[in-house]
Amino acid sequence: MNKIETANVNLHYGDFHALKGITMSIQENSVTALIGPSGCGKSTYLRLFNRMNDLISNVEITGDVLVEGKDIYERGVDVDELRKKVGMVFQKPNPFPKTIYENVAYGLRVNGIKDKAFIEERVERSLHQAALWEEVKDKLKKSAFELSGGQQQRLCIARALAIEPTVLLMDEPASALDPLSTAKIEELIYELKNKYTIIIVTHNMQQAGRVSDRTAFFYMGELIEMDETKMIFTNPKNLRTQNYITGRFG
Amino acid sequence: MKKPDHIQIRRKKQRRQSFAFWTFGILSFSIVAILIVILSFILFHGVKAISWDFITKMPEDGMTKGGIFPAIIGTLYLVAGSMLFAFPIGVMSGIYINEYAREGFIKRFIQMMTNNLAGVPSIVFGLFGMSLFVNKLKFGDSILAGSLTLGLLALPVVIRTTEEALRAIDNSFRHGSMALGSSKWQTTKRVVLPMAFPNIITGLILSIGRVSGETAPILFTVAAYFLPKLPHSIFDQVMALPYHLYVISTSGTNIEASRSMAYGTALVLIVIVLIANLLANALRRYFGKKVKMN
Amino acid sequence: MSHLDTELKYLKEELIDMHRLVRLQVSKCKDALVGFDNDLAREVLATERRVNALELKIDRDCENILALFNPVAIDLRFVLAALKINSNLERIGDNAESIARYVMDVTEPFPLEFIKKYEISEMADIALSMLDDAMQALEQEDTAASRKIFMKDDLLDAINKKATDTTILLMESKNNRPLHFLNLLSIVRKIERIGDQTKNISEEIIFYIEAKVLRHGGEDR
Repeated sequence: MNKIETANVNLHYGDFHALKGITMSIQENSVTALIGPSGCGKSTYLRLFNRMNDLISNVEITGDVLVEGKDIYERGVDVDELRKKVGMVFQKPNPFPKTIYENVAYGLRVNGIKDKAFIEERVERSLHQAALWEEVKDKLKKSAFELSGGQQQRLCIARALAIEPTVLLMDEPASALDPLSTAKIEELIYELKNKYTIIIVTHNMQQAGRVSDRTAFFYMGELIEMDETKMIFTNPKNLRTQNYITGRFG
Repeated sequence: MKKPDHIQIRRKKQRRQSFAFWTFGILSFSIVAILIVILSFILFHGVKAISWDFITKMPEDGMTKGGIFPAIIGTLYLVAGSMLFAFPIGVMSGIYINEYAREGFIKRFIQMMTNNLAGVPSIVFGLFGMSLFVNKLKFGDSILAGSLTLGLLALPVVIRTTEEALRAIDNSFRHGSMALGSSKWQTTKRVVLPMAFPNIITGLILSIGRVSGETAPILFTVAAYFLPKLPHSIFDQVMALPYHLYVISTSGTNIEASRSMAYGTALVLIVIVLIANLLANALRRYFGKKVKMN
Repeated sequence: MSHLDTELKYLKEELIDMHRLVRLQVSKCKDALVGFDNDLAREVLATERRVNALELKIDRDCENILALFNPVAIDLRFVLAALKINSNLERIGDNAESIARYVMDVTEPFPLEFIKKYEISEMADIALSMLDDAMQALEQEDTAASRKIFMKDDLLDAINKKATDTTILLMESKNNRPLHFLNLLSIVRKIERIGDQTKNISEEIIFYIEAKVLRHGGEDR
């Protein structure tokens, strides 16, 4: 089943045509990697799905963006509800200046959940899911800033998982981390794909190879090629894709 | 090129480097030195006047004897009153400008006006306060009118520092919060404000310092020339330290006789500002820690 | 277990399957030869297609692992070794196939007496035990097992060397069946090849586990 579909999506920042007629479908419980050179539109495309582009002024979007079959840019769509369903992890770990516990509980609290036992259970489960529980279970009341960068990023993943999204958007989630933490995040993505539909933007081609089922190559706001990751990495159909993944980009 | 030239160039470079180092260093230290001179001058002359009676007694004998108790209390009232007015309004304006207002003409207009307000001479605030609060709104010469006038004076400082403090918070925190389905207000209240609070407190410190030393704005709105009793309501007049200092050193009944009292008053004023700063600093550190812990 | 570990484990399982299949081919063609069992020989020919298909599959998996995971160190050596082990196994399969074809093509059975003269049965047993050693080495990462293979290969070489003389002797004797002799000589050569290829496999296993290059007498065995 297709979890996410876009049909002929165009996006303009003022005069800049950032996305040019993107049509794509993304299957449920799979990992899709978006790759391409800087400024190719891959991050902008990712931010369509939780309407993060709304936070920037001067953005104009045409075309259909369907999440679970519903157009999320229709009038009357509750953006906060959408963002509960479509979680996001950012490039730089951005835990809030709160305790580890409160960071994970944050999403529940802002969504009006007050039941203490419920929150506690959810926090623990999310930390387990993010493979962080063992490392933090004895210091839940400590500041999140005391964690290492890699731990902070997993905390941010736990924070996103706590409100039980079905889609997880990841914008270069490991680019600010050391190789070991990166490996941990990648393993985590591999584990999480059983339950979540994951879309990951990455500059690191090897990472796309390691974690994703399907890969989409963007260039200058266009979707050049999308296929099974195996195919993209062994036998891409488009010459530009081949040049990019082999590092011969002109 | 011959070798000696090379060495010469290096020597020249070193000379210039040490010249710059010493010039800038000496200038910086001279500023500290000036401050120390002023402080010790006031301390030296003022400490003779300081006594328990000086701080707790009413002025007597045409302000040549007795204490400055009502002026101390008056200044504390005025500082507290002006902050009560300026702080919430300033912080809210700062939040509006930085978090809510869209980029564009209106935002730029508000910012420009805030800057202009900061540049207005304090005597103009005094006249404005007199005509609006004292006469138009009929508050009379009162703590209320004086506090509001001082508050207006402090407002741009509070707005500006709030704005700066909020702007210093990385957008990734806001986006992280919004991405979890929280509204803009929830994001501001739960994430942005707590992070910015220590720096907003800095604005408070700065404006307390400014407000407690101002004479012109209270001249026509609240300050009493000689009033040896404490206020009973916000509609009463009070004495205030800076004005008292001005009075006894320029137009008192006996300037020579009250000279040492003038230094004493200045010392008390400086100490009050110092205490306010230390207090606010402690507050700032406390909130800074709390932000990390929560 | 990490994603790459999972993939490598799967690759190893495939390689072991391939190894089993090929060993079965060799043992079947020996039985077909000794028992002159035409049906069994036909079975070997039919199974050869499965061997070829599996070879392609393993090749593709190696390519994917290299492209997607960029393995390094022991992981890289394993994938490189897997590629070569795979192609050696496929060639062993080819040799088994052509031995089976000899059984199918001749109209009358090879007399047992000649088979005994050429020591074909013994050769086949040695080759099979080499394949067993290789399997043990691969499965258990046991380089001692793979080192046994070199000695056994020497035995095969010795028998192979004798085969020419045996052929001349047999041809000179009055019991003259030149076609049989030539076919049997070819079969001996093919079994010897199987031995060589198994030896290659064992070298690859040692390369993968110990990072030592043994080919072309590169280092002490």
